[in-house]
Amino acid sequence: MRWNIEYKETWLHQANPTAKLLLFLPMFVVIVFVHNPNVLINWTIGFTVLFMLFSGYRMKHVLLLFMPFLFIFISTSSSMILFGKGETTWFRWGLVHITEESFYRGVHLGFRTLLFAIFGLMFALTTKPVLLFYSLMQQAKLKPKYAYSFLAAVRLLPIMLEEFQTVHQALKVRRAAKAKGFRGKLELVKRYAIPLLSQSIRRAQRIAVSMEAKGFTNERTRTFYYEVTFGKYDVYLFVVMFVIVVVGYYMADAFPYVAIKDVR
Amino acid sequence: MQKKGLKLTDVLTTVVIAIVFGIVYKVWGPLYYAVKPLGLHLDQLIYGMWFIAATVAYLLIRKPGVALLAEVAAASGEFLAGSEWGLEVLFYGFVQGLFAELVFAAFRYKRFDVAVVSLAAVGSTIASLVLDFYKGYIDQLAWWNLTLFIGARFVGAIIIAGVFAYSLVKALEATGVTQLLRPTTKEDYDSLDK
Repeated sequence: MRWNIEYKETWLHQANPTAKLLLFLPMFVVIVFVHNPNVLINWTIGFTVLFMLFSGYRMKHVLLLFMPFLFIFISTSSSMILFGKGETTWFRWGLVHITEESFYRGVHLGFRTLLFAIFGLMFALTTKPVLLFYSLMQQAKLKPKYAYSFLAAVRLLPIMLEEFQTVHQALKVRRAAKAKGFRGKLELVKRYAIPLLSQSIRRAQRIAVSMEAKGFTNERTRTFYYEVTFGKYDVYLFVVMFVIVVVGYYMADAFPYVAIKDVR
Repeated sequence: MQKKGLKLTDVLTTVVIAIVFGIVYKVWGPLYYAVKPLGLHLDQLIYGMWFIAATVAYLLIRKPGVALLAEVAAASGEFLAGSEWGLEVLFYGFVQGLFAELVFAAFRYKRFDVAVVSLAAVGSTIASLVLDFYKGYIDQLAWWNLTLFIGARFVGAIIIAGVFAYSLVKALEATGVTQLLRPTTKEDYDSLDK
């Protein structure tokens, strides 16, 4: 889902959503089996540059969106840095035991998470949910009942948000919008969840009945309001990603930043 | 008794519930890294929230495939809302949902009590640990730290995705809305004959 901030339509927006998924998802597997931090650093730089140049968003917005990534980077790398196994001790204080090996492993994990986050953001910011599900029906042969259910559910979100505010105000007036302790907090979650869920279920039932009546059923041969196809931009994306991956891999061998080649 | 696959009604209801949880999943992210006090793994106690869509949806709709669909849909919702973890939530969602589904399948989709959903929560925990093993090198943590990590995640999962999910659905049953969802059972037919 896109935020309501202004952006230009770039070729990344034009690329086919299914093609984007098919290119991005295997990267997860590839990245998980890379153990050389130099490669990940190069890839992170490459894909960050791609994102900044072609996402079509203003630089200040991009930087704002990158802020949480810093927290993620620190939080994923910190426990491995502080408590990981290793031989060459740098620092020891009580339970904290920082070694050279654990430090690089921690940083490697940080970059790995950063890469996943960049791919995720790149996809989410350049893809319209409606076109994603239309494309999945047409290119990936997703059954219409699933795709249209998702689309209907996405459309219901604003109503749910409004309901959430109503419940929140009702609880506030009755001084029931706060609770103490773990148990209290769980009770509080229930106080919000029960009305929201029950209303959503009722609404989903009604919508499903009317959708069935209007023929949103499981026909394989159906026509679509939006025709989505593969195109030249998918080829561009493939080429760019291929270049970043190969060049990054080669550069990591030729000009490494750190001497460690395998963090395991 | 109808024994066919999921109908549009089931799918839509599951997805709508799951998307609600998808938003919760998204909000849970910042909370998760806010309570991460320097690696002592207190954050793992709240990890279980990311398993709850599967168990709640299964308890509500009580049909095969619902747990997997719900967890995948919730993960997609989280992903499309711009999760900090990006792509990986899709993989985690799928595998966690699959393991929960396998637990329900092992009981032939005939039990809907707190023990089974807790077991499904344990299944999802194992799924997430398997992925963490590859992605996060968790086997390279010092042993005491790893024990704390795994223990806290199991405990949190059982409390949130098991016990809490069950009590949530019990409360929803009191509103009467669940009668819309569940397939008619043999008892329902029997009660007509009395």
